[in-house]
Amino acid sequence: MAQQRALPQSKETLLQSYNKRLKDDVKSIMDNFTEIIKTAKIEDETQVSRATQGEQDNYEMHVRAANIVRAGESLMKLVSDLKQFLILNDFPSVNEAIDQRNQQLRALQEECDRKLIALRDEISIDLYELEEEYYSSSSSLCEAHDLPLCEAYWRLDLDTDSADGLSAPVLASPEPTTGPMQAAVPAHSHASGPGPSEHT
Amino acid sequence: MATYSLANERLRALEDIEREIGAILQNAGTVILELSKEKTNERLLDRQAAAFTASVQHVEAELSAQIRYLTQVATGQPHEGSSYSSRKDCQMALKRVDYTRLKLSDVARTCEQMLEN
Repeated sequence: MAQQRALPQSKETLLQSYNKRLKDDVKSIMDNFTEIIKTAKIEDETQVSRATQGEQDNYEMHVRAANIVRAGESLMKLVSDLKQFLILNDFPSVNEAIDQRNQQLRALQEECDRKLIALRDEISIDLYELEEEYYSSSSSLCEAHDLPLCEAYWRLDLDTDSADGLSAPVLASPEPTTGPMQAAVPAHSHASGPGPSEHT
Repeated sequence: MATYSLANERLRALEDIEREIGAILQNAGTVILELSKEKTNERLLDRQAAAFTASVQHVEAELSAQIRYLTQVATGQPHEGSSYSSRKDCQMALKRVDYTRLKLSDVARTCEQMLEN
């Protein structure tokens, strides 16, 4: 409890000091400016000689002008401190900034993933054709147990269907294939299956 | 400067105040310079002096308002929010894209080699 009171007090003290600095600097600027204007008035009667009075006024104006500049610079420092305080402690705008950034990043991520999925769909079609071409060509050096990608996918689909429907036990021997692409043997029991030679 | 566009009108207002403080000093200098001349342009003098006074009052009012807002909004606690998780997800998505690009270039290279052979 005491600690909770201590922290806000330091913030409160800090903000009060900002107020004080603001009032002091503005007062300094106005007072020094007013005094310069007053000093600019030429008086006929002076206590010292005109030259001395002139020198004194000159010096006074220099000092007051320097005071105005110092107060202006102190105001700039105050504005800089306020900016820093705002960035660190203005929770509503920090929350909003974080939300906006999250939205931007999420949108970018979703766009990337959407484009990747579209690319995947396009390429899968081309890959099937490429694989067909490759495995049916003479340059194919695959072994008997290597399956083309398309046949592996179809076999996986068939296996999934049979596992869902009947929970059939593992077959010891492969069933005769009815077509070039169809094989009912569960993939679990056979690492090898009908090779590419059966396609033709 | 681009980050200030993120919903931070107050920071923009503070930047305007900084510019106005510079204008205050410039007005003060112009008034004193004008006074130093033998033949003073009174209208210019009045205009600059009025602008100086108005600017000073405006700066004081604006800064007081900002400090008042901060008094209402500030707590003693640090803000612990971050955008790290979404940044990481986005980074992973970009990595996926790079990886896909790499693999596609491999496939393209393989196809070209097959065509050459």
